[in-house]
Amino acid sequence: MPMDLATLNKPPITARERKFSRLILFFEDLVKVPLFRCQRCGECILSSTAFICCQRCPKRLRNGPCGGTGEDGSCEVFPERKCVWYKIYYRSKWLHRISLLYKVNKIHNWNLERTSTWLNVFKKRIDAPILFVRNDKQKVKDLIVDDAQREN
Amino acid sequence: MTLREKIESNRFILCGEIGPPQSCDGDFIREKSRHFKGFVDAVNITDNQTAIAKLSSIASAKILLDEGVEPIMQMTCRDRNRLAIQSDLMGAAALGLRNVLCLTGDYQTFGDHPEAKGVFDLDSIQLIAAVAKMNSGFLLSGREMKKPSEFLIGAAANPFAEPFEMRLIRLYKKVNAGARFIQTQPVFDLETFSRWMEKVVEMGLAEKAAILAGVMPPKSAKTLLIMKAEVPGVKINEEYIQRMKNARDPKEEGVKMAVEIIRTLKQMKGVRGIHLMPVLWESITPVIVKEAGLNSLNENTT
Repeated sequence: MPMDLATLNKPPITARERKFSRLILFFEDLVKVPLFRCQRCGECILSSTAFICCQRCPKRLRNGPCGGTGEDGSCEVFPERKCVWYKIYYRSKWLHRISLLYKVNKIHNWNLERTSTWLNVFKKRIDAPILFVRNDKQKVKDLIVDDAQREN
Repeated sequence: MTLREKIESNRFILCGEIGPPQSCDGDFIREKSRHFKGFVDAVNITDNQTAIAKLSSIASAKILLDEGVEPIMQMTCRDRNRLAIQSDLMGAAALGLRNVLCLTGDYQTFGDHPEAKGVFDLDSIQLIAAVAKMNSGFLLSGREMKKPSEFLIGAAANPFAEPFEMRLIRLYKKVNAGARFIQTQPVFDLETFSRWMEKVVEMGLAEKAAILAGVMPPKSAKTLLIMKAEVPGVKINEEYIQRMKNARDPKEEGVKMAVEIIRTLKQMKGVRGIHLMPVLWESITPVIVKEAGLNSLNENTT
């Protein structure tokens, strides 16, 4: 039946784990904040957004840009900024990771805010990052054709 | 015939739009509904559009339903978290509302309460998937509902915003999540729209969801200029603005323009209907429906 749509509290986070998570988060921040401007959502989808943190979006959208991106790719809320999804799209194109943009990212679990993604992946709360994508163009084609065939 | 049946039977669909008032006046909706009754298949009820607090979309939709006009209730993610969204949807279903248009929502700083906290717990795609899940009898928590909802899910698309391909990816996700009709931003750039439409047909999305192209009859050149400057994600060809500026009777020219755009859209492959947005000018709907020759389509259905 219906796919898992939201990241649930499974397994639940214990108080002890939270403390430990904070320690790991310290080291995680040292890497991810300067490199990706990580916003510490605890449910990292950097690998499917071409290594640009999508949580910089004012609406914190996880599934692509809203309808307000300007012609020059500016954000509708802060016109002086570039829309983060605009950047993600062009970076994905450059890195040949467009097929990952077709994936629906799950509804964010706000309990995971300010916890360590690395620990959450280890605990299997969230999906592991996708490091390599091969035959990106073919994958995109397959996605579209697959659906057309499923209809028939 | 309900909107769902009309979409399933491949009829040409015509939707209208009403923005609820910023007061407790229910008669406002009843009055506006008269401009649409018998002319369109369904009417959108906006949900605090441009982040301005208005009469709730569920209440307005219910008023419209009682007036004998089929409402499409809009639901945005800006004002509600997942608890409120699901509870509002259950309430709407219990009131007999059957159509929901899922939107992310304009950012709160555009409205009259810029100090508000924006929620954005879900985004539009996740909302569509959540409603689809409720239709299958489950809540987001995984709990089962005794009586599932039966919503016809709609979504919005903006063919004019950048990057072009990303818009198609978003549409693909929305349709696959469960959207059965798509309403677009008002078309004032037929060239970009036809390019977008071609791609949508090519991806096979036009068969799975009915694409309803947005059309807005402008009242004056000023309307267009304000739209261009202030409404995010709207693209307006300079040609149309010039035409409105030079027109002796801007209102007449606006109607003529809307009719022209509707005629062109009707010829386009994959366009399954028109979403008419006569913002603050609802009384013009019957005129446009008649001039564009859409009347015959809806006469026997409503």
